[in-house]
Amino acid sequence: MDKQAIERLVIDAQSLGRKTLPEPDAKEILRLSGVPVPRSHVAKDLSGAAEMAAKIGYPLVLKVVSPDIVHKSDVGGVALGIRNAKELEDKWAEMVLSVADESATSMIEGFLIEEMAPKGAEVIIGAVRDEQFGPLIMFGTGGVTVELMKDVSFRLGPLSKKEAIGMMTEVKGFALLTGYRGDTFKDIEAVAEIILLVSNIMEEVDALKELEINPLFVYERGVMAVDARAVLK
Amino acid sequence: MIVKKRIEFFFDPKSVAVVGASEAPGKLSSVIIDSLLSSGFSGRVVPVNPKYSSVKGLKCFPSVSEIDNGVDLAVYALPSALTPKALRDSEGNTKGAIIVSGGFGETGEAGKALEREIKEIAKGTGIRVIGPNCMGIYDAVSRLDTFFIPRTRIARPRLGGLSIISQSGSFAITAMDELAGEGVGVARVVSYGNKADVNEADCLRFLAEDKHTKAVAVYIEAVDDGRNFIEAASLCASKKPVFAIKVGKRGAGALSALSHTGAIAGNYEAYRAAFRKSGVIELDGYEEFIAACKAFGSGSEAKGPRVVIITDGGGMGVSIADECIEAGLEVPPLSEDLKDRVRDGLPSYFSINNPIDLTGSVTDEMYADALEKTLSDDSFDIAIVAALWGPPGLTDELPALISERALAIKKPVLVCSPGGAFTRSKAELFRRSGFPVFQTPEAAVKAASILSRTSLSRRGG
Repeated sequence: MDKQAIERLVIDAQSLGRKTLPEPDAKEILRLSGVPVPRSHVAKDLSGAAEMAAKIGYPLVLKVVSPDIVHKSDVGGVALGIRNAKELEDKWAEMVLSVADESATSMIEGFLIEEMAPKGAEVIIGAVRDEQFGPLIMFGTGGVTVELMKDVSFRLGPLSKKEAIGMMTEVKGFALLTGYRGDTFKDIEAVAEIILLVSNIMEEVDALKELEINPLFVYERGVMAVDARAVLK
Repeated sequence: MIVKKRIEFFFDPKSVAVVGASEAPGKLSSVIIDSLLSSGFSGRVVPVNPKYSSVKGLKCFPSVSEIDNGVDLAVYALPSALTPKALRDSEGNTKGAIIVSGGFGETGEAGKALEREIKEIAKGTGIRVIGPNCMGIYDAVSRLDTFFIPRTRIARPRLGGLSIISQSGSFAITAMDELAGEGVGVARVVSYGNKADVNEADCLRFLAEDKHTKAVAVYIEAVDDGRNFIEAASLCASKKPVFAIKVGKRGAGALSALSHTGAIAGNYEAYRAAFRKSGVIELDGYEEFIAACKAFGSGSEAKGPRVVIITDGGGMGVSIADECIEAGLEVPPLSEDLKDRVRDGLPSYFSINNPIDLTGSVTDEMYADALEKTLSDDSFDIAIVAALWGPPGLTDELPALISERALAIKKPVLVCSPGGAFTRSKAELFRRSGFPVFQTPEAAVKAASILSRTSLSRRGG
């Protein structure tokens, strides 16, 4: 884990008066800590976007980058499965209008052009810093319904591997990782590793108040942090 | 910086001063002195009040500083505004202070300032302080009793192996009163109130090493230094069962809802995780707290979740079995070999299964025999005995007989005794024989489930 680079990133954000880190920065923290994230670039305009898209290769994902928008999909700020330059242009235009409409006062810093990660089982791994007890790590069945279902488990950091595994086996959704109804068995070791990394980041980087990967795609081999957010103290 | 003294001396003081001593009936100090004089406490009791030369026949001193050779402990029952000065004046002449008075941090800005002052004095003088706004200590070992509610209103439990620490005084005394009625014994009970100095972590460290304490019950409103708590609780839970109730659970998401995690993770989740990390069993509500105290008060620990149910009423047996399954306990069938051994000497129409139904033909001896054979077998960790008092073969000798035969097995035996006036009078016999008695299948199973959780919580994960 490149702690220095992470701290630089956090200090830069703090000097801009930021309370939340935009998705690319949150993912950069994860990448610097050893969490697999999709290849991506931030584009300021459409021509820049097209250039980067060519580099990353289709299909890809387009997402709005704004420190003010917490739930991007709620404001039409996420477009998945873009297959070519024409679609990129269409989706870009659509998104600019939609975000302007739904979240008029938000500051837009650009748009994230990102490799489209293949679909995997979805889990959420998050952490908050509790005032009395320090980092509290959460694992659960991921996706947008997490607050509704609350199929989650908690442990206080710093975590042992045994605790990380315990967090996973405790939730109902664990079955989704272990061959539920003929599905394949997923890479549980890799998930445990990410839980430990998130715990570790919270221990090391005191300025982080909340950190969350949602969803983390889990494959038969490996994982990918598809979306992330970070909140500063 | 003064290294903080350990708090053992609070529990076995050779002398106790009561500051603000008075003979006026109903005054806190009056109740405390009466308690100390009548409880069997063997230490010296020293009233302190500049207004009197004697209180209740004891020589009264104008201040703690003027007591020859000092005291181990001083109890302050003064108006809050007078307390800091009285405490400061005691420097060098007492090791510990229990401030029972209210009117401190719980009341507002002026009270908060007084409490800060108490903190500073504790730090500066090295006097360890319990309270303010607390009941202090009821100690069944040394008979120290600073709880200022008379025994006629709140009964004190007999001597036993359970210790209780509580932020709330009223919670502590209510539990004490109830446990006294249940025949459950205690070792140390501490109500530490606003914890200006001594906090739950200090108490847990003491109880971890205390040989009189076999299990610890904790009531928590809020912990200040979370990691210190976890360290102390882990130490204690590694040596004996520790179980805790945390109230004020549903404080709305203290954290901003900028992430899903922040929206879901309230402060209570952190407490649950802290209990879990320390190996402390989390309890849900007063009923579970009392059930746990009764279960652990009997002194034996469960090694696992396998329950044998013995009854003379089939319906009650099945009802208990249902509750067990619901609670995550196991009710495994008896092995063929064990079945044969239990059946030996019983009429052929008895249903020897789990639950074991000894029917209306049961005798005291059959109960004791069935319990001894099954509970001593490796396939069971806990027994629930649901003795219904209809059968004519059951006599007042039953509880003592069961106790005699089960004692050596060292596994928990819980008595479930639902029924009316006659049954309740018999339940008292079970209590006197040292059994925890529960009125309903639900309560008995709750206790069994808590006992089995100890073995789990110590495995971690």
